[in-house]
Amino acid sequence: MAVIELRNVRKFYGSLEVIKGVDLRVEDGEFAVFVGPSGCGKSTLLRMIAGLEGIDSGEFLLDGKRMNEIAPDKRGIAMVFQSYALYPHMSVAENIGFSLDLKKVPKPEIRRQVEAVAEILQLTEYLDRRPAALSGGQRQRVAIGRAIIKKPAVILFDEPLSNLDAALRVQMRAELQRLHRDIGATAVYVTHDQVEAMTMADRIVVLNGGKVAQEASPITLYHKPDNTFVATFIGSPRMNLIPVQLSRPGNGLVRLTSQAGWSIDLPEPSPALPAGPARLGIRPEHLKLAEGSDRDFEAEIAVVERLGVETYLTVGSLSDPFMARVEGDVAIRPGDRVGFAVDRRACHLFGADGVSAHRA
Amino acid sequence: MAAPHAQNPSKRRGAELGAYATLSIISIFCAIPFFWVLLASIDGNASLFLQWPRELTIDNYVRIFVKEDGTRWLLNSLFVVGTATLIVMVLAGLGGYALSRTRAWWKRPFLYTILLIRVLPTTALIVPLYKVLLTANNGLGTVLREIFGNGPARQILRYVGFIDGYLGLILVLATMQLPLALWIMKTFFDTVPRDYEEAALMDGATLMQRIRRVLIPLALPGLGAAGLFAFISAWGDFLLPLILLSSPELQTLPLGLFRAFLRVNTIDYGFLAALAFVYLLPAVIAFGFARRFLVQTFSGGVKG
Repeated sequence: MAVIELRNVRKFYGSLEVIKGVDLRVEDGEFAVFVGPSGCGKSTLLRMIAGLEGIDSGEFLLDGKRMNEIAPDKRGIAMVFQSYALYPHMSVAENIGFSLDLKKVPKPEIRRQVEAVAEILQLTEYLDRRPAALSGGQRQRVAIGRAIIKKPAVILFDEPLSNLDAALRVQMRAELQRLHRDIGATAVYVTHDQVEAMTMADRIVVLNGGKVAQEASPITLYHKPDNTFVATFIGSPRMNLIPVQLSRPGNGLVRLTSQAGWSIDLPEPSPALPAGPARLGIRPEHLKLAEGSDRDFEAEIAVVERLGVETYLTVGSLSDPFMARVEGDVAIRPGDRVGFAVDRRACHLFGADGVSAHRA
Repeated sequence: MAAPHAQNPSKRRGAELGAYATLSIISIFCAIPFFWVLLASIDGNASLFLQWPRELTIDNYVRIFVKEDGTRWLLNSLFVVGTATLIVMVLAGLGGYALSRTRAWWKRPFLYTILLIRVLPTTALIVPLYKVLLTANNGLGTVLREIFGNGPARQILRYVGFIDGYLGLILVLATMQLPLALWIMKTFFDTVPRDYEEAALMDGATLMQRIRRVLIPLALPGLGAAGLFAFISAWGDFLLPLILLSSPELQTLPLGLFRAFLRVNTIDYGFLAALAFVYLLPAVIAFGFARRFLVQTFSGGVKG
């Protein structure tokens, strides 16, 4: 059992507040991902859970027990560092078994446990090598081995894949998920890469400016973002946010008129928004090519990116562009005027303050 | 059209030969003094000019170590410089770590200030330094004489005295070498990520375990480099022992060499050469040991 609970946790560096009252609960065995732009406090929060940073106010509970004052090694938490932090002067076996050696576990027992861990991580043939003689992926696995040999209740990962190349990252993502299923520990994973977050997490915690912007399952975040920050952070390419004027023409719908002059009608949002400026959120895949009366608006294409399986069309000026994602390879050239239809069921509506008002 | 660098092989060979010949001549030119020293030291009849010995002999070395006080000079030098190096390594290790990890505002000013010590000529510092040390020595002497009486106090002062005692020379030598060593260690620790220590902390290592099993092994290349510079520089120092030591039993190798030059009877080049060779050797050996660390330290820190 390992339930992580943060209650109104705060952290200051001097007078600068970097964690501004975070409340959070990660269930036993869950794979939680902290995601956010750099400087949002995600690594700091992770290090507070690890015990490497103090908690200035609020509480961190592990299975209901207050952990604020407990030493890092007494919390039953292991951590995989971004740099791996493998000791260069020790062999792979010594690196993995270091924590047991410190606990004065007998040598044969350490060897047995190290070999068992190496077996799981396919490191058996590298046990006598130094870290310098390993590839990036192998070093990563040694770092994970060093964490799991402690049989921790919680494993923390601090951007563990950021030093790997793209192909290896995809492979390690799958390996980490399999490993998490096998050992069943509660995992907290920090990344700035929303694709990593979406593919690995049971639950994503989006952080922005030291606060939780939203926490939910990946698909919920994608479909029901609470605010414009989450809406644009989750999903790639990012959601288009189009400034609109909201009015009520009297047909029971709200009319959203863009600065370019086109408008669409949507059902009344809940909670209701006042008439005036608002923002319409449309994911690129919810803009379809359309002709004749089907189209909602027409625009000039600025940039075309043809990937074969899909095509990204960037519309509008460079300072205020929005993007459509069209399936297949379409022969459209920059400068062409093209008609688009908006998928009304997938539209998001945000008030002037950026808070979501309409969930399709 | 042929590429400009595609000369014919014989021409390229000629150019290579020329380069090697030039380099060989320069190397020989540099090596000759050392060769001369070695040759003269085993020549029973050495003179000012380079000559091939008529008979090879180790008499000069026997004279140094058996008839003269050479053994004592060598041991004094090794003890004084070795202890100073050890002090420098410990202090530079601890201080370099602290300077690397602290974010205090005084860090930069402090680092540049200590570098100033290195820039000032020792000769210019010697007068105020001597006055300070003399005062300290007198004070210490008074206290020791009070406690132990005249005779024993003299003996104790030979070790812990600031003037004409081992301790004074060791401390001054260490002080002179410390700034550069601190810089080397600070720069070195800058390249060692904090993750190593934090990983050890998470693994349950105590402070002593973190220092002994993680930090010291990681810092070894830097310590080796800092220690080597300190050793070689202190080993070569002549002025400080000359000023600070006067008792014959405290003489170090450079002083022995210097005094052998000044003897009234004719200069014995064989004896001097042998003494010079003995004086050279530890520095070369130290370099041989620490060369690996030197390269590691100045080519980019810890690789893991």
